[in-house]
Amino acid sequence: MENPSSLTRWLITVVGVSILLFLCLPIAIVIPMSFSSADTLAFPPPSLSLRWYRSFFEDPRWLEAARTSLFVALASSTLAVLFGSAAAYGLVRGTFGGRRILEANFLAPIIVPQVITALALYMYLAKFGLLGTFGGLILGHTILGLPYVVLLMSVAIRSFDVRIEQAALSLGASWQEMFRRVLIPNLMPSLLAAWIFAFIISFDEVIVTIFLSGAHETIPKKMFNELVLRVNPTITAIATLLIGFTIITMGLAAWLAKRGSVSAIRGLDH
Amino acid sequence: MAGRISSGLPMHVMADLAPTIPRARRGLTAPAGLPQVAPAAVFILLLFNVPLLLMLSWSIDPGDNPFKYYAALAQGSVYMKVLGNTIYIALLTTFACCMLGYPLAYWMWSLRARSQILVLALVVLTFWISILVRTYSWIVILGNDGIVNRSLRSLGVTETSVAFLYNQFGVIVGTTNVLLPFLVLPLFAAMLKLDRRLLQAAESMGASQARIFFRIFLPLTFPALAAGSILVFILTLGFFITPAILGGGRVPMIANMLDLLINRMPRWENAAAISTVLLVLTLLFYAAYQWVEKKSRI
Repeated sequence: MENPSSLTRWLITVVGVSILLFLCLPIAIVIPMSFSSADTLAFPPPSLSLRWYRSFFEDPRWLEAARTSLFVALASSTLAVLFGSAAAYGLVRGTFGGRRILEANFLAPIIVPQVITALALYMYLAKFGLLGTFGGLILGHTILGLPYVVLLMSVAIRSFDVRIEQAALSLGASWQEMFRRVLIPNLMPSLLAAWIFAFIISFDEVIVTIFLSGAHETIPKKMFNELVLRVNPTITAIATLLIGFTIITMGLAAWLAKRGSVSAIRGLDH
Repeated sequence: MAGRISSGLPMHVMADLAPTIPRARRGLTAPAGLPQVAPAAVFILLLFNVPLLLMLSWSIDPGDNPFKYYAALAQGSVYMKVLGNTIYIALLTTFACCMLGYPLAYWMWSLRARSQILVLALVVLTFWISILVRTYSWIVILGNDGIVNRSLRSLGVTETSVAFLYNQFGVIVGTTNVLLPFLVLPLFAAMLKLDRRLLQAAESMGASQARIFFRIFLPLTFPALAAGSILVFILTLGFFITPAILGGGRVPMIANMLDLLINRMPRWENAAAISTVLLVLTLLFYAAYQWVEKKSRI
């Protein structure tokens, strides 16, 4: 396996590159399309223009959808981080029984098909008159972001040496002080990474939004509705903006997560 | 930074101190973990568990025949057809993901460290880009006026456009594209963990490359492939966005039917019964996934 014949190696490379292209091409192709001047989706674009970006930034409905997306994503990711990181701490450091069951329950929204979560929340929120409200939508998105925060923060807390916490407590810090001055600063990179993950999950969410949002439109919901109806080249511009946004935020999250794990390990020899 | 540990105490001193922390002091965190977990537990109970249970209860009729909505599912040929169609598409997608995912993971594994990181970054990136964006692109590529059809026409292969979209083929291509990373990433991780000395040993004993692959590499990575396949299968069962866009309403899957039953028809009881079936299927396959995944780690 270390020295396969050159023909085999060549074949594996060709196959591998082709499959990678299949995976990445759809994303790569949208970007040049978004700068097309043509009315239809033609590739390669006949000439370049920014008309589809203009048609996005000059359309108040798209801008309103962008505002809604940002607002809901900010609120729900913040809630998910508050609830989820505290829960992760309790799960990792806790000694109470039933932790595994509780952890499985926190992760369940990843496994249960989203359409079922959406449907259950739809029927439930309808009972309380919360359907179509921002509150209902934010709560729904929080449920989806929570498992990822619990997962990420559990890893971060597990790799943070418990003896550092104990040392702070033994040196006279109250639990609150230890939390505020030792735990939070040390976990900050991971907390920010978890927050970004939850933000992206909410920002990209379609299914729960379609069921719960009523008249409110988010960017993905409006995109979905337009895509089902007809092909609108404005979406190439939005897609390109979303790709850029995802690359930047995920790069940041990856960098923070790495820093988080490094600082957690460094904590050992300080 | 004020909060960082900078006490200057050597770590081993801290470690020795730890057991001496008075019980009462430790008591500040006790009952250990519960106060921290409680808010999230209440939140998920009220906004996930209770809604789910309530929805399941909708599928049971309080009258003489509690399972009448399930009976309606079994008798309504439309429902069974959609269920069958969903499972069929899920199987084809899983098959396609295996056929593409295994060679891709294998190629990644065989790369040098630097190119490996680059390719891995690309795969992870696609994983995080909005499903809508990834699905949308296939309209640009496979549509009647898309790249593939234009090329086929200019090459003179076909006169008219080939219908790649708004049928089963389009749905499977789009779904495979979205779900491929779910198979590739764990598979690649399993390959990395594989002990290369086993392969070297086989080679030094004179085994051919093909023999090494089929007798050692494939069997050792097969559990990871199986686990990934089950995951892809489960995810396709509940898939909504890609079938809705690339199926053009002609490739009904369970999730899309649920949307119809809730948002267009209002038939909540039927939707609840279908959801129960889908949920039970998902949990069954998830249990299988966990079992296989556990085996693949050994």
